[in-house]
Amino acid sequence: MSLARQDAVPTYVVYAASLIVGLMIWEVAAQQIPRIIFAPPSVVAVELYNGFASGKLVVAFAGSLAHLVLGFVLAVAVGVPLGFLVGRNRTAYYLLDPTISGIYAVPPIAFVPFMIIWFGLFFEARVALVFLMSFIEILVTVSAGARGIEQSYLDVARAFGARGRDALVKVMFPAVLPFVFTALRIGLVRAIHAMIVAELFFASANLGRVMKDAAQRFDTGGLLAVVVLLAVFGLIVQEVLKQIEARVIPWNMRD
Amino acid sequence: MHWLRNKWTLRALGIASALLIWEALGRTVGEALLAGPLLVIPELVELVADGEMPRELAGSLRQMLLGYVLACCVGMPVGVAMGRSRIFDAILRPWVNMLVVTSVASLVPLLIVMVGTGFGFRVLVVFIASVFYIVLTAYQGTRGIDPRWVGVGRSFNASRLRTFWRILLPASYPFLITGARIGLVQAIRGMVVAELYVLVGIGGLVNTAGLYISTANLLALMVTLMAVGVTANEALRYVGRRVAPWYEERYANGA
Repeated sequence: MSLARQDAVPTYVVYAASLIVGLMIWEVAAQQIPRIIFAPPSVVAVELYNGFASGKLVVAFAGSLAHLVLGFVLAVAVGVPLGFLVGRNRTAYYLLDPTISGIYAVPPIAFVPFMIIWFGLFFEARVALVFLMSFIEILVTVSAGARGIEQSYLDVARAFGARGRDALVKVMFPAVLPFVFTALRIGLVRAIHAMIVAELFFASANLGRVMKDAAQRFDTGGLLAVVVLLAVFGLIVQEVLKQIEARVIPWNMRD
Repeated sequence: MHWLRNKWTLRALGIASALLIWEALGRTVGEALLAGPLLVIPELVELVADGEMPRELAGSLRQMLLGYVLACCVGMPVGVAMGRSRIFDAILRPWVNMLVVTSVASLVPLLIVMVGTGFGFRVLVVFIASVFYIVLTAYQGTRGIDPRWVGVGRSFNASRLRTFWRILLPASYPFLITGARIGLVQAIRGMVVAELYVLVGIGGLVNTAGLYISTANLLALMVTLMAVGVTANEALRYVGRRVAPWYEERYANGA
């Protein structure tokens, strides 16, 4: 925000300080309670290191990424064009909106038994769940964005003689891009969520298997290691998407 | 065919054709894979009449509401504080950003080790699922309050407390309400995640339904959950209009 005054201390220093202090509080607090209730960050760090050094977490994580990426790419490929159509075409909007809203209102996890019936317990089911959970989110966000394109943009384009394809490619696509990026960000959070849900609720696999094994040993360090891994992964992916967004649509950078 | 352009006609047409497609699909693949609406509706009536499902649902919703209200009580003040105080912002933002992308499902095995699978566990899952969305919405809303409004207050010599109560708080109502709506959606999702994992309440019923030969029972439960979600959202929209008549729908599109 332009009105915020410039700080002497850069923001990331403050954030780093907050994280360090927070980790210290967690460490001290966790030392007071039994390890099987909650592990301190030092233990989690060791777990993470061992997991990566032994390759156990790397293999599990790579396995998780397989269905995450496949499901998410499919969801983007279907969700973005369909969202654009539903948002821009009045007939399509009123025809499909009640059904979309209805499906959107069902907690996605309730589809788990269905996914098992249709796709079994393994890879296909995991891909399907990731697809379903991110697809609906992308569809809703993109269609809301496409509906909200300022009529004045289109009027100006028309006044300058842009028609059909031109108006579509030069005006509507750029206008809807910010929403596509928002949709990608929200969709990806949902996709990661679906990824771990699938691994815990279907036949346990990959990171979900690591978590279930750790839970059986009451190994809270091992559990938190996976949680931290997922959280950091989520943050990095968000940040990468933000950077791409800043490059692709520099005119629309909020913070 | 002017009437065909009417949005209510189109909506009705959309719902009717969705139901028809569903029924046709159901008849083609059989009720073991997908029961059509003609099978689901009687099943739903029976579920309601039987009394077990409404009882389980009421129990689930009670716990969900407790977790959700706690999340609102904590999330809203924290979000407002972060939005208006640079210190709170700096301290809490990295943690909130990290936790909001953390899937609550990935915390479920850990939470079970920590607090067991009882009442507290389910309330806690709902709380964690919704609180960070409530915080972030309140934060973004209060941070974006037009500084001129605060300036007007200062011109009229309003004290800090008065500025807060009379200007900042009313200006943030729309965002608090939006946050409450997003939070409620997440709370209901969290509720089903928790229950499907430990097999109690309506989530437990969903799991059992997944084992039946016919999917009619499962779909009836999903329709119930959908109705719960839609009702809850509409109720909060109504509250929003009553509490803050200046609450506009466009704020709600941030979801």
